[in-house]
Amino acid sequence: MTNPIPHTGLQPALQMGNPENLLEVTGLKKHFPIIKGVFAAAQGYVKAVDDVSFSIRKGETLGLVGESGCGKTTAGRCIVRAYPVTAGQMLYQLRDESVVDLAAVPEKELSPFRRDIRMIFQDPYSSLNPRMTIFEAVSEVLRVNNLCSPSEMRDRVEALLKRVGLRPEYMQRYPHAFSGGERQRIVVARALITNPRLVVCDEAVSALDVSIRAQILNLLEELQADFDLTYLFISHDLSVIRHICDRVVVMYVGKVVEVADALDLYTRPRHPYTEALLSAVPIADPRGRETRKHIHLQGEIADPSNPPSGCYFHPRCKFAQQVCREQTPELRTVGKNRQAACHFAESIQLQGVIS
Amino acid sequence: MNSQDLLLDVKDLRIFFFTDEGVVKAVNGVDMKIHRGRTLCLVGESGCGKSVACRAFLNIIRSPGRIVTGEMKYYRQTGNGQQDVIDIAKLDPRGKQIRQIRGKEISMIFQEPMTSLSMMHTIGDQIMESVLLHNQVTKAEARRRAIEMLDRVGMPKPERIVDEYPFRLSGGMRQRAMIAMALSCNPSLLIADEPTTALDVTTQAQIVDLIRDLQQQLNMSVLYITHDLGVVAEVADDVAVMYLGKIVEFGDVETVFHHPKHPYTQALLRSIPKISREREELDPIQGMVPSPFRRPTGCQFHPRCTQAMEKCSQIEPRVTTVGENHTVQCLLYENL
Repeated sequence: MTNPIPHTGLQPALQMGNPENLLEVTGLKKHFPIIKGVFAAAQGYVKAVDDVSFSIRKGETLGLVGESGCGKTTAGRCIVRAYPVTAGQMLYQLRDESVVDLAAVPEKELSPFRRDIRMIFQDPYSSLNPRMTIFEAVSEVLRVNNLCSPSEMRDRVEALLKRVGLRPEYMQRYPHAFSGGERQRIVVARALITNPRLVVCDEAVSALDVSIRAQILNLLEELQADFDLTYLFISHDLSVIRHICDRVVVMYVGKVVEVADALDLYTRPRHPYTEALLSAVPIADPRGRETRKHIHLQGEIADPSNPPSGCYFHPRCKFAQQVCREQTPELRTVGKNRQAACHFAESIQLQGVIS
Repeated sequence: MNSQDLLLDVKDLRIFFFTDEGVVKAVNGVDMKIHRGRTLCLVGESGCGKSVACRAFLNIIRSPGRIVTGEMKYYRQTGNGQQDVIDIAKLDPRGKQIRQIRGKEISMIFQEPMTSLSMMHTIGDQIMESVLLHNQVTKAEARRRAIEMLDRVGMPKPERIVDEYPFRLSGGMRQRAMIAMALSCNPSLLIADEPTTALDVTTQAQIVDLIRDLQQQLNMSVLYITHDLGVVAEVADDVAVMYLGKIVEFGDVETVFHHPKHPYTQALLRSIPKISREREELDPIQGMVPSPFRRPTGCQFHPRCTQAMEKCSQIEPRVTTVGENHTVQCLLYENL
């Protein structure tokens, strides 16, 4: 591999809970202060990510779903350390199998990890600098880090552009000359130029038209096989998640409510919020639409700066009991490879969308 | 369906945009029939002209766009069971007659409720505006009507919301307010331009159900514009598939989803991820939507079509009837 990561040497020897995992996130919190008034004192905190734990296995695609404001994007950005995290641990297994806590690495020593963990953004129009040519955009990370010689850089960019389905002859052009789908290919190439191991795809196909979306999804799957990539796929689109993900993490107001293998989750959800979310997905088949019922959740999504007591979902949950108002449910194991944060995960019968 | 049920009959509608770089044929010969009490979904990728076509039905095409040819016959019911026929294309966009229709008989809800609601006026004032404009009622009566409409679209505490400003509402609530406004004058046609695209799935499901329920209660026609085939399958009675300014296939929802004829419709359906037990491989449409200034000759889909024949690049396909209430524009089905 081209960029070995030096040991930071600052942390005691850490161990992964499971050696198959590439990343283990434990108790991750990201609170944004609400600042008001002349003395700029924090009046409270928006708990965008509040005690989130999940792990990503090597080579899998993990989906992170939820509605807008649930903290899925913030969680993704914490992993690439776009923000300093408020609390928690993010254990990352290096290529040499040593383990480092990404949450504790000082800002100045992050650059090797930023090559290892890359990000693809939603909007291919705003995530490319209009004043940089395609070559400059894709090679920027190699250039600023002095990772290779100029001639090697050109070869690498050329080969990668070809691999993502673009013509390398066009690499001196500016982004405006490309369509949305082509731009997203450029963004993919920019993420992969450092030979990363983990790619955080934040709504990577949400802004694309259906025909282009299928092309990019197929491309991401091919690249995963070719380059041995692990994806954290953040999306609100549950049909895309079903298509691309092996396992799924469902978030609601900054907390993980359910983790399961994709098929299990869609067949039999264990958290009432997951059930409601699944029931709302429009199915592209008019047959049987009369019998499909959307679950209408009462009220609005909770305010992450002032969440309800107990289970954050209880004001909207039809199964809510007194205990739900008082005690916050822990995320606990409720079956093989699955976890749910609901007091009644075992006893309630919930409807999936795959029979 | 007999002609009594016809609400809007569009024939050979062409809307061109005369820009400095050239002429963009946004809508290029569209025929469409909208029937009373039915939902027609207009589906297509971005840039296919679906939004522009719908704006034409209200005669609100902005310069440099212009309705070049075509007729849009609106069958207006008068009080005594008679029908008036008005050609919307011929009306002066600023004239009295279209202003009586716009917002009253044909109304529209837009994609982004934050940009289409005025932030300087309360929700109530905005709903009352159209009520007062189109009906001979007092302000108190209009306000009562606004509250009733808000209640009808499922707004909690309508008496309080009526005096709120849009920024105080969530996205779903704003879209409900938009719908209340659009329905305040009992329109015979509601045009919904991507009404749920900016919303979360759970909110989307609520809005989709709401539009369907209200349609049944009020017996209005709905023209629903979307790019999401899932939503189409949930709401449509009829489906029109648009590609580069033309309707390439039209049929009822069952036919279009289960017996699609046009290669574009077939390809679109193959390219969407489905929620099913097996993970199927996606079969994307090759290439991309061509530039509006360099449209292909002949059938405009031929460069991306897997079943293209030699003549497809030369001959423009005509509308061919392939079944009851099912038409397609493709050379594969001509001269059958």
